[in-house]
Amino acid sequence: MSPRRRAPGREDTSAVREPHDNAAYVYGIVPVDVEVEPGTDGVGEPAGQVRLVSYDQVAALVSDVETDRPLGRPQDLRTHQRLLDRAAAEVPVLPFRFGAVLTDSDAVVEELLKPYHDAFVDALHDVEGRTQYVVNARYDERAILGEVLRANDEAAMLRERIAGRPEGATRNERMRLGEIIEHSIEEEREEDTATVVEDLEDRCEQLVVRDPGHERDAAHVAALVDRDRQAEFEQAVDELARDWSGRAEVRLLGPMAPYDFVGTS
Amino acid sequence: MSVQTASRGTAASGGGGGTDLADVIDTILDKGLVIDAFVRVSLVGIEVLTIDSRIVVASVDTYLRFAEAANRLDLSSTQKDLPEVVQGMTQGKAVEQGRGAAGGELEAAGGSDAEDGDVQDGDVRDQDRRDQDVRDQDVRDQDEEFAEVERRPRKARRGKEG
Repeated sequence: MSPRRRAPGREDTSAVREPHDNAAYVYGIVPVDVEVEPGTDGVGEPAGQVRLVSYDQVAALVSDVETDRPLGRPQDLRTHQRLLDRAAAEVPVLPFRFGAVLTDSDAVVEELLKPYHDAFVDALHDVEGRTQYVVNARYDERAILGEVLRANDEAAMLRERIAGRPEGATRNERMRLGEIIEHSIEEEREEDTATVVEDLEDRCEQLVVRDPGHERDAAHVAALVDRDRQAEFEQAVDELARDWSGRAEVRLLGPMAPYDFVGTS
Repeated sequence: MSVQTASRGTAASGGGGGTDLADVIDTILDKGLVIDAFVRVSLVGIEVLTIDSRIVVASVDTYLRFAEAANRLDLSSTQKDLPEVVQGMTQGKAVEQGRGAAGGELEAAGGSDAEDGDVQDGDVRDQDRRDQDVRDQDVRDQDEEFAEVERRPRKARRGKEG
């Protein structure tokens, strides 16, 4: 990037001239009064230092990456999320999806911050004081299979027919049995997801049902929760986990940045 | 899939930093603002290597796996063993309001069900040909390597176009 100064922006002191083969990886948008701890490593190898590129009331969390190396090691993915989640614990953040890279800081200002300044200000306002959780429930395999086999005569019959016989000789039976199980789980999932939504929707600002992330998922939802009500929300999830104990394992992820609640408005 | 006792051991001995990569992937590759929607000119094409963790719905593979799991299931044991098999939800809650010692890791290191780490490649049309090894590997074991199951190179567009 050229060393000229941008008129209204101010940049973190760690910003240095970017060599030719570098580009600006963008993590997300924060209010302009945010600071980044010096020495915060970003994605890539070698890791660039995370800095802020600011314009008026908003700033982008950015670090340099070398353009001739691919991104996407598990470490990179974690770095991206960790940075955003930590930031979100302190300040409002609009998290970007992994993999956003612009040519340089100027481009971040001219093409991202400047043209969408007002939209970002509004969106930051919307997530202020709120945090995201993800609730993921997964059926215990033995429990759910047992349930299906007890409830479905055809499944039980197929299972007996398969027992002790080689896979190749029972392919049709296996296919049919698997299909029954799959459909049964799907029906259960629909019901259980509805239960989760019902239990949690009054304890959060917004709630979205995610696609199942696993074939045994009982429910997968993201919730935007008011910070004042985090304890209440967590308790509701705790209760759900107790109710479903033995049947499905309920995991609560977060608090995290509001990934599911920053639609392109 | 099914019971996977081997990798369960891995998870239990995981120690530090065992954030479930599948959860990370679900979130940051699938959610969040898409910068492409904002920026068209100076977007840089960097090859992004990622695992696609999307669920395989209604696949032949899934059916056969379920059938095999059902085949191996000891029905008489499913009920009395349940309390041991299932754990509560404490595992997922390691983050102390986002800034504790865990430092924003999404969930506790130890104890999470190893099966959660399963990453499945999600091309529904291709299930039959899918590589068994890819599907079954525990992504946490390859932490330091490129998580390369499916290459999704971005369109290379360097510099300003106009």
